Amino acid sequence: MTRPPTPSTGREAPAPAPLSGDPILRSTSRAVFALVLLFSFLLLWRGHNAPGGGFIAGLMTACALVLHRIAYGFSALRLDPVRLIPWGLALSFATGLVPYLLGKPFLKSDYGYITTAVTGEFEWATALLFDLGVFLLVVGASLTIAYALTEVAPQETVEGDE
Amino acid sequence: MTLAVFFPFLIAALAAWLGPRLGRRTGYVAAAAFLPALLLIPELLGMPGAAPALEVTRWVPTLGLDLAFRGDGFSLLFAVLIGVIGTLASLYSVAYLSERERFGRFYSYLLLFGGSMLGLVLSDNLVALFGFWEMTSVTSFLLIGLWHTRSAARDGAVKAFLVSALGGLAMLAAVAMIALGGGSTSLSALDVGALRESAYFTPALLLTLLAAFTKSAQLPFHLWLPTAMEAPTPVSAFLHSATMVKAGVVLVAKFGLLFGGAALWSAIIVPVGLATLVWGSWLALRQTDLKALLAYSTVSQLGLLMSLYGLADAEGRFAATAHLLNHAAFKAALFFVVGIIDHETGTRELPLLGGLRRALPLTFAVALLAALSMAGLPPLGGFISKELFYEAMLHQGPLFLAVAVAGSALTFAYSLRLLRVFLGAPRAPAGAEPHEAPPGLTLPAAGLALTALAFGLLPGTAEALTRTAQGALNFGAYEGNLKLWHGVTPALLATFLTWALGAVLVWQASGMEALGRRLTPRVNANTVYYSLTQTVNVFSSWLIARTQGLPLPDQLRITLAAAALMAGYAVWRAPQVFYPFGELPLGVLPVAALLVAGAVGVLLSRGRLTAVIVTGLTGFGSAAAFLAFRAPDLALTQLLVEAVTVILFLLAFRYLPGVRDLPRTRGRYVFDVGLAGLAGVGLTLLVLSSVRFLAPPISPYYLEYSYKGGGGKNVVNVLLVDFRGFDTLGEITVVGMVALAVLSLVRLGKPGRPRTAPDDTAEPPTRRRS
Repeated sequence: MTRPPTPSTGREAPAPAPLSGDPILRSTSRAVFALVLLFSFLLLWRGHNAPGGGFIAGLMTACALVLHRIAYGFSALRLDPVRLIPWGLALSFATGLVPYLLGKPFLKSDYGYITTAVTGEFEWATALLFDLGVFLLVVGASLTIAYALTEVAPQETVEGDE
Repeated sequence: MTLAVFFPFLIAALAAWLGPRLGRRTGYVAAAAFLPALLLIPELLGMPGAAPALEVTRWVPTLGLDLAFRGDGFSLLFAVLIGVIGTLASLYSVAYLSERERFGRFYSYLLLFGGSMLGLVLSDNLVALFGFWEMTSVTSFLLIGLWHTRSAARDGAVKAFLVSALGGLAMLAAVAMIALGGGSTSLSALDVGALRESAYFTPALLLTLLAAFTKSAQLPFHLWLPTAMEAPTPVSAFLHSATMVKAGVVLVAKFGLLFGGAALWSAIIVPVGLATLVWGSWLALRQTDLKALLAYSTVSQLGLLMSLYGLADAEGRFAATAHLLNHAAFKAALFFVVGIIDHETGTRELPLLGGLRRALPLTFAVALLAALSMAGLPPLGGFISKELFYEAMLHQGPLFLAVAVAGSALTFAYSLRLLRVFLGAPRAPAGAEPHEAPPGLTLPAAGLALTALAFGLLPGTAEALTRTAQGALNFGAYEGNLKLWHGVTPALLATFLTWALGAVLVWQASGMEALGRRLTPRVNANTVYYSLTQTVNVFSSWLIARTQGLPLPDQLRITLAAAALMAGYAVWRAPQVFYPFGELPLGVLPVAALLVAGAVGVLLSRGRLTAVIVTGLTGFGSAAAFLAFRAPDLALTQLLVEAVTVILFLLAFRYLPGVRDLPRTRGRYVFDVGLAGLAGVGLTLLVLSSVRFLAPPISPYYLEYSYKGGGGKNVVNVLLVDFRGFDTLGEITVVGMVALAVLSLVRLGKPGRPRTAPDDTAEPPTRRRS
C-alpha cells in the first residue's frame, strides 16, 4: 500500500475557542444544570423498578457537570473526579462483599419493604447501594476524561494526523 | 492460623490510613500485626507429638480453592520465624526511616508481604499456595521499588519481578499438574502414589524446581537478589534474607515429601545448591558494598539450604532445618548492623570504613557474634549446623564434601572481611561523626545476635525447635543431636581444613582480588538478562512501529478486512444464516432507514462537526430501534452514551487540524468501497445468525425471577445489579481503568509534569543525624 503524502506536523491547528464566557449559555445552563441533576437522581433512585439505574444516572450527571464546566469555566464538583473512581468501585465491591461474609453468595442482594405513615409502603434494596457505586464510578470516569480534554493545552496534543 | 494470616492484611489497610497521621510511629502498629503469628508459639512448642491442626475456610469450592491452613511443625516454625523477624523489622524501621518517608505506603506494603508470606507457609491448598506465592513476588516488587525515583531501584524491582514471575508461571503449571496427578488440591490429602504413577510427575517436578530456584535465587537465577538490595534495609533483612527468599527452600522442603523419592529430584537440587554455595560466596568475597556482600552471602547460604533439603533424607532435612534457624538469626542481625553503619556514617563501602568498634561498641559486639556464627566458629549456632552439613555431605561422597569445604572456606573469609569495618584505624567519610545508634536500631539486632549465641551455647534450644518440624518433614528417625562437641570426627577435621583455607584467603586478600578480576566471566546471568530484555524491547518497538504506526486509513482497512474474512468464514461454514429474513419484524424498517441515512451522511459530510452530528443520527436511530423493541432502558442508555460521546468528540476536535481530502486513485477507491461493503454485509449476516440460533430464549427466566429473587420490577436493572452483578463489577472496573489511562495519556505532554523519569541523582530519603 502506498502511504498518503505525509501531512505537515499539524502546527497549523486552529487555536481552540475559549470554552466559557458566553452569557446566554451561562444563564440557560443554570436552570438546565439543576434540572438535569435532579432528573438523574430520580433515575438512580427508581432504577430498580422503572427505567433508570446507576449507569444512566451517572452519564446524565456527568453531562450536567460538563455543561457547567463549559459555561462557567470551573468545575461544580469540589473534589477531583478521579477520586470518585476508587470510592465507587469500593462501594460496589463492599456491597457485594457483605453477603459473602455473612455466608451467602458474593453480590447476593437483599431487599424488603417498610411501611411508614408518611411514605406508605417503601421498598429498600441493597442493590441501590451497588448502583450508587456504579453511579459514582461512571460520574468519576466520564468527568475525568472530559475534564482532561478541556484542560490540556492544544499545541501539545497535536503531533500530526497520521 | 487463619487469623495469623489475615490480621496483617487488615492492619495493612489500617496502616495505609494511619501512615500520614502517625508518621514513623505507624511502625509500632505494624509490629502488632504480627502478634497472632507469635501467638502460634504455644502450638509450635507442643508440636513434635501433637497432630497438626487444619483450618479450612471455603472460598470457591467448585474450583477446589479453599483457604486451608495446616499447622504442621515445619509450617508453624516458619510462621513464627516470620512473625519474629517481621516484628523486629517493623520496630527497626521506626528508627531507621527518614522523616520524609511515605510511611503509610511502606508499612502497608510490608504488612501485605507479611500476610502473604504467612499464607504461603501455612497454606495447605495448592491453589491458595500459588496465590500467596505470587503475592509475595508483587509485594517484593513494590518494596524494592519503594524509592522509585532512583533508576537502580526501578531496575532492581523489575528484575526481581521478572525472574520471580517466571518462577510463578512455572509454579502455576506445577500446581495444576500436581492437582491433576494427585487428584486433590489439598497438599495433605492428595494421593502421592497416584502422582508418582502419573505422566505429570516429571514435568511437575521440573517446574516446581524452576519455581523454587527463581524464588530462592539459585544459580543461574541469583541475579535478582543483589539488585534487590535497593530496598530499605529493614526490607532487605525481612524479605531478602530471612523470609521471602526462603520460600523456594520451603517449597523444596515441603514438596520433597512428594518428589523426594525420585532420583531426578536430588540429582538436580544438590549440584545446583552446592554450585550456588560456592559461586555465591566467591562473589560475596569480592564485593565492596556491605549490603551487596550480604546479598551474595544470602545467595550462597540459600544454596547450602537448598542442597541439604534436596538430599531428601532425614539427615539432610534435620541439618537444613537447624541451619535455617541459625541463618535467619545471624543474617537478619547482620543486615540490621549494616543498616546501622549506613545510618551512622552515610556509606556502605568497605574501603571507606574502618575502626568503627570505638564509635559503635554495641554494634560491633552484635556484628562479631553474627559474623562468627556465619563463619561457622564455635561456640555459635552456625558452627553446629555447619558440622551437620559436613556430616550429610560426607555421606554423599568425598567430592561433595570437598565442594562444601570450599564454599565454607569462602564463607569464612567473607565473614571476617565484613568485620574489617570495625577493626584497624578509625576511618569514615568526611563529615560523618559516627556514634552509637539509638536503641531502636541496636536492640533488634542485639536480640538476633544473642539468639545466634544461644543456639550455640545451649544447643538444646535449637534442637527442640528443629525437632518440632520432624513430623512434617519426616526426619523423626534421625538420631543425631545438636552438640558443640561431637568428638574428633571427619566433619571436625574438615572444619579445621576450612579454617585454614579461610585464613589463607583472608591473608592473600589482594591476590584473591587479582584472581577474581581474571576469573570474571564475560557472559553472566546479568548480561543474559539485559540482552534478553533488550531484545524484547527492540522487538516490541519494531512490532509497534510496523502495526500501530500505520496511517489511520490503513489500520481501518486491516480491521475491516479482518471483519470481512471472519464473517465470510462463518457464512461459508454455516450457510443457513442466509435464510432468517422471514422472521424480521418489518415495522422497524423506517428506523433502519434512519440508521442508513446517518451512515451515508457521514460519508458525504465535509467537516468534522457535521460528521459528528450526523454520526449522532445513527446513535439516536439505534435508540429508536431499542424503543421499537420495547427496551426503554437500553434506549435511554444509548441516548446518553450518544450525548456524552458527542461532547467528548467536540472537546477533542478542538485540537485536531482541519479535514483534508486524502488523494486517492480510482482503483484504491473501488477497493475501499468493496472492502467496506463486504465487512458490512458479513457483520450483518453474523448478527442475524446470532438472532436466529439463540434457542430457546432466556428472557422468561429473568422475567419470572427478577421480582421474586431480586425484588425489582425493572428486569434490566435487576440483571445488572443482581443476576449479573459480578459482570457489572468487572465492567465498572474497566471503565475506571480506561478513564485513568486517558487521563495519564492526555497529561503526558503537560508542562510541569515529568515526561520521562526523574534523574537518578535524587537523594534517597535516608535519615541523617546532624
